[in-house]
Amino acid sequence: MTKQHYVTIKGTKDGLVLRLDDKCAYSDMIAELRNKVSENSLEGLAEVKVHIGNRFCNEEELKEIMNVVHESPHLRVSKIQSEVISIEECNRKVLEKQSETYIGIVRSGQVVNADGDLVVIGDVNPNGRVVAAGSIYILGRLKGIAHAGATGNEEAVIAASWLEATHLMIADKLETMTDELTILSEHPEMECAYIHPNGFIAIDRLQELRILRPNLSTFKGGS
Amino acid sequence: MGEAIVITSGKGGVGKTTTSANLGTALALQGKKVCLVDTDIGLRNLDVILGLENRIIYDLVDVIAGRCKIHQALVKDKRFEDGLFLLPAAQTTDKNAVKPEEMKELITELKRDYDYILIDCPAGIEQGYKNAVAGADRAIVVTTPEISAVRDADRIIGLLEQEDIEPPKLIINRIKSRLVNSGDALDVNEITTHLSIDLLGIVLDDENVISSSNKGEPVVMDPSNPAAIGYRNIARRILGESVPLMSLDEGRPGFFGKLKSLFAK
Repeated sequence: MTKQHYVTIKGTKDGLVLRLDDKCAYSDMIAELRNKVSENSLEGLAEVKVHIGNRFCNEEELKEIMNVVHESPHLRVSKIQSEVISIEECNRKVLEKQSETYIGIVRSGQVVNADGDLVVIGDVNPNGRVVAAGSIYILGRLKGIAHAGATGNEEAVIAASWLEATHLMIADKLETMTDELTILSEHPEMECAYIHPNGFIAIDRLQELRILRPNLSTFKGGS
Repeated sequence: MGEAIVITSGKGGVGKTTTSANLGTALALQGKKVCLVDTDIGLRNLDVILGLENRIIYDLVDVIAGRCKIHQALVKDKRFEDGLFLLPAAQTTDKNAVKPEEMKELITELKRDYDYILIDCPAGIEQGYKNAVAGADRAIVVTTPEISAVRDADRIIGLLEQEDIEPPKLIINRIKSRLVNSGDALDVNEITTHLSIDLLGIVLDDENVISSSNKGEPVVMDPSNPAAIGYRNIARRILGESVPLMSLDEGRPGFFGKLKSLFAK
């Protein structure tokens, strides 16, 4: 009698793939996985991708799968791939992709937060603060504090029709604008701030953004 | 039913109390029935500037605590026939003696009997500010052409915009035309663009403001004084008249002459 295999190992051109059945009970799958990896058919050390298909695993379960695979001295998990995510994670990803619009003046002491990109139509006055997980675009004067990529996205940028900020932050980088301010005030129009490959926040003409951050464009239409 | 206007600034020392006293007086001069309410509990000043200090018997806290009726606490300014009254603040306690809801009730009651209730707000954004704003229908923000005062005005405008009142209006006080003309002080345009609210009026800096306040007689009583003209214009704008903004060309020959000829008409 042939027993159904919950765990299969396949060699592909990208390396070893461990496919775990997503219909069986989790405990059965783990038990078989443990058996499979303890077989002594393997040699050396191989990186393996784990496909868990349509099974939703929480953090702990993912950790357990990884630990079981690592029980074999010959295998190392490079990636766990899943076809499903939780609603919570999905919502978060949607929010991160979204652009929120704030119309008004961000005055001293006020904070405007966005989970994705942030478009401000109006000024950001000194001691006013705009924070976004994505990029910040200001149609107006930025004279306060802007923090783009607040959750760590170093690709995020800050663009403003008038860039005269006191502080610029992108991801974990901070730039106080005291030295630049004098230079800026001659040409503060239509500028954007980004993290330069040298690790510091740099400021350039808005028009350069298409070269600096082409991936920020979400435009799909033809021209 | 009257209208309650709170006069606020965030920063201290920009002239809230002086503005309250002068606008109240100017409105009374226009024949309106005005009640000034000093909400700076613990640091009251409005009574001094109006010269009514030694006529105080009860105060705002007494009214709210129910120790007296409102009309018993109101101090009448005898210079105006039933036109100007003051509800003084208490001096012996602090801002926490009053709650915003109590203040609102008090102002609503005053609105029945007066055309205008001007609420003089204390500096800061704490309890005293909250009390002062609670009963107001409109707000006037006072600032001076100094960067610190403008910053604080920006903060207070942000807070006022969250209240359920009309958008606040701006008074720029103590403008030194010499400094503005030489470019060393912020000019009116810069301040209004920065704060993005409507300008209600400007008041020129004048030494007589201090000396007349010290005498307990608001400067606005003197119709030839440049600061007084500013306050009178603002009062007329509050009443809905459209009055052109005064020019800052002080120092040019003939400015005062021009002003005098204007008012001689």
